[in-house]
Amino acid sequence: MKSLRAFFLRLGGLFHKQRRDRELAEELESHLQMHVDDNLRSGMSPEDARRHAVIQLGGIESTKESYRDRRGLPFLETFFQDLRFGARMLRRNPGFTAVAVVTLALGIGANSAIFSVVNAVLLKPLPYENGERMVVVKQGAPRAGFPDVSFSVPEITDYRAQNRSFDALVEYHSMAFILLGRKEPERVLTGVVSWNFFDAFGVKPLLGRPFRADDEKPGAPAVLLLTYEYWIRSFGGDPTVVNKTFTMNDRLHTVIGVLPPLPQYPDQNDVYMPTTACPFRSDPEMVANRRDRMVSLFGLMKPGVSTRQATSDLTGIIQNAQHEYPDVYPPTFDVGAWALSLREQLTQNARATMLVLLAAAGFVLLIACANVTNLNLARMVKRERELAVRVALGAGRNRLLRQLLTESLLLALAGAALGLVFAQNGLGLLVSYVARFTPRAREIHLDGTVLLFTLAVAVVVSLVSGSFAALDSRDHNIGNLKEGSVQSTIGIGRRRLRSVLIVSQVAVSFLLLIGAGLMLRSFLNLQRVDPGFDPENVLTMRLNLNFTKYNTADKRLAFYEALLEKVQAQPGVLSVAGGMTFPLSGLNPWSNDFTIEGRESASLPIADFRVVTPGYFKTLHIPLLGGRDFTRQDRPNTPTVAIVNRTAAHRFWGTEDPVGKRISTDKGKTWIQIVGVVGDVKQDGLDRDTPDEIYIPLADSPVSGLSLVVKTSVEPLSIARRVIQQIYDIDPDQPAARVASLEQVRADSVAAPRLTANLLGLFALLALAIAAAGIGGVMALSVSQRTHEIGVRMAIGAWPREILRMVLGQGVALTVVGLALGLLGAIGLTRMLRGLLFEVTPTDPLTFVGVAAVLAIAALSACYVPARRAARVDPNVALRCE
Amino acid sequence: MTDKADVWQGTLALMVLKTLETLGPLHGYGIARRIEQTSGKLLSVNYGTLYPALLKLEQEGYIASEWGVSDNNRKAKYYKLTRAGRRQLEKEAQDWQQTTAILARFLAPSEES
Repeated sequence: MKSLRAFFLRLGGLFHKQRRDRELAEELESHLQMHVDDNLRSGMSPEDARRHAVIQLGGIESTKESYRDRRGLPFLETFFQDLRFGARMLRRNPGFTAVAVVTLALGIGANSAIFSVVNAVLLKPLPYENGERMVVVKQGAPRAGFPDVSFSVPEITDYRAQNRSFDALVEYHSMAFILLGRKEPERVLTGVVSWNFFDAFGVKPLLGRPFRADDEKPGAPAVLLLTYEYWIRSFGGDPTVVNKTFTMNDRLHTVIGVLPPLPQYPDQNDVYMPTTACPFRSDPEMVANRRDRMVSLFGLMKPGVSTRQATSDLTGIIQNAQHEYPDVYPPTFDVGAWALSLREQLTQNARATMLVLLAAAGFVLLIACANVTNLNLARMVKRERELAVRVALGAGRNRLLRQLLTESLLLALAGAALGLVFAQNGLGLLVSYVARFTPRAREIHLDGTVLLFTLAVAVVVSLVSGSFAALDSRDHNIGNLKEGSVQSTIGIGRRRLRSVLIVSQVAVSFLLLIGAGLMLRSFLNLQRVDPGFDPENVLTMRLNLNFTKYNTADKRLAFYEALLEKVQAQPGVLSVAGGMTFPLSGLNPWSNDFTIEGRESASLPIADFRVVTPGYFKTLHIPLLGGRDFTRQDRPNTPTVAIVNRTAAHRFWGTEDPVGKRISTDKGKTWIQIVGVVGDVKQDGLDRDTPDEIYIPLADSPVSGLSLVVKTSVEPLSIARRVIQQIYDIDPDQPAARVASLEQVRADSVAAPRLTANLLGLFALLALAIAAAGIGGVMALSVSQRTHEIGVRMAIGAWPREILRMVLGQGVALTVVGLALGLLGAIGLTRMLRGLLFEVTPTDPLTFVGVAAVLAIAALSACYVPARRAARVDPNVALRCE
Repeated sequence: MTDKADVWQGTLALMVLKTLETLGPLHGYGIARRIEQTSGKLLSVNYGTLYPALLKLEQEGYIASEWGVSDNNRKAKYYKLTRAGRRQLEKEAQDWQQTTAILARFLAPSEES
């Protein structure tokens, strides 16, 4: 308590210094006078009286000094003094200051930005109240080839009734519905959930009320919760939307509330509804059939339960079901169920990339740090005299150290401030980039944690870069002053330190360039992958038919055929087709087992089934390798036909021609004849293998969700409006969604690796520029300090060319050592990248050689300027300059 | 003067407090003289060290100061004990006596042997 009081009084002592100094002077003066009076009275001479009094006081100035130290906080006062002095020094060297601050800003800014991502995505707890107890539940039979199957309603009922590990098990699936009642019909992605879904997460609506148990009773009035994004995007954040009604699936739905802005997983839905409002999920057949699996399951674990306990609990339940229903779960299957931490599921795609970027940013900072240290060291040479003067005037070593550290702190803080400005400017781009990996991207902000991190980085940077310079100053002594020369010789120790810094800059730059080079190669490989189709001039859009209106296969087929005909007639359209999916769309095919005629006894093979219209292969330029395409004559009343891709043809029929062979998806009740073979297509991503695929004609399975693909002779998006108009002409209530050119879709599918390569490339270029500037700067300094020596060499007959070679040789030696170290480091570290690379080994020789060449050229060019200056030294001038 | 003991930091504060309790409000010079006299000239007070000590006591709230006029008509800063200072003096005196008593007992047998 009392020391606190003293602290504040001392803090106050920092102000009104003059008045306080005057008071002290008066007090000491009266003290002296009284003492002198006494001394006089005891018979001393006036001179002796004063002299004795001053001696016993112990010197007026030193008394004042110790009094002042006690009055204020000498630590703080010195600090402010140093700050003021440091700021003055930095202002006087604007070139040095600007270079150092910008270098540090780039290094620190990169780290702040990437840390803000790592913090938001990997470190912070999930922004749901119960986030850490939430798990994603999966079930399947991995060894039988079913690693992850959806849940049926009876299965969920089992899990709910029998588990001992969960406070709640809530179901989820996502579907596209059409929302009517606004200006235009809107396709809304709808999360269909248990009534207590948001309760389990611990999420409360921003407006209105949450779902209640009554909302999920059969026959309950349909209700909707809007997501924050949809509410802002579509309703401009209008709070009166609560209690408004809209028509979906031919029923009136009432909006009961708006959800807060939170990351959604696994889909970015527009609205949520209870399971009973979804026409598919509430279908009695769906509710009763154990084989009708379409939903996902989330669980809120009881406090203290681990995912491992929950997993064994769940596995026990599904194994019970296996005993009870051997017709549903083949007894030979190794069925199981797993509880997976939601947090990991949300962030697992981002983790590796983000950590690589964080490491890269850290390397950039290291290089920046080394550079600023070198700049500092160089400056120390010029400040030798100043420091010697200060030592001569009585500054202790620690005092000098503090002064120098304060200066570097000032630099680092300025760098950090500027770095935060950089980070803030780049954050928007970074968020949209990270959004490709995880829904948590929306949580990225420069918040208090990030500011604190930045401050800590700045302090560490200032300690590191400052203490080298400060330690270096310890051998400053008054001797330096006597020499009287501005350029004193540099100690061996300092030169070695500088060489070490250069070598490490080169080594770390090499690491970063290798990382960026590998990512770039990997991306180029992705670009070069033959996708199996031609994305040029193809327009795509998605239709989700209102299935209460188009409730029969005939109605759907009629709609599609009418639409395709109308679109085909449009100018600029070369051909048009439809498919339940199209390549790289991210839409899922059906995965079915089937029987091959003549091999009924074998265990059933599995393939992806995709529904397409005639002309689909022609429109996408997917080559027909054998047999024929589907035609308008393949109708429901004619024999069912199919086309297989090359991979499937090869796997299931080997060298035989599959055309004419028959398969069955209902264990031989009906047969499908294979009429053609088409080329392989990269369906799920350019880096994925092509699955076994079987195409069937739309006429046989008129699905309710169809994508249009339109080959155009003009810019595809330029006719999008006209194509959509054709849809409205047939049905004004039918919206189109996800309108994009296939080129866009393809570019999007490789956007994440492209952006990662770009970011790493940016970091690597930064590192290269900083390191090159560092090497050049150090060589320039070394040349200017060796002017005299070079002059002597030339005076005794050295050719300029030899001088040039000597200086360059020095640079080359440092670069080569740096490259060697970088090479060793890279061989060790690039293994971290393995998971992110595509068809490039982490030690790709081409990348290593190329990067080494680039780095060597950059370093040599940086050395060339000072080397040429050295070669032009005029021996007369050089010898006279000292 | 050289063979006189220097005053230790902690004890100087205690002496100042005791002096102010005994003599009432007093200026710095008076306090210094009084300490020197009381010690029987055994202690050498570097008068200069007194002023930072006085400032510290004032910052801690044990003494207060105001400008006044001395007996022989000189302007001087007078220090007086505050209530907190009186309590502190009591406590420190007690601590000190305890310490010396312990030390005395500690040293006693070795004197006999």
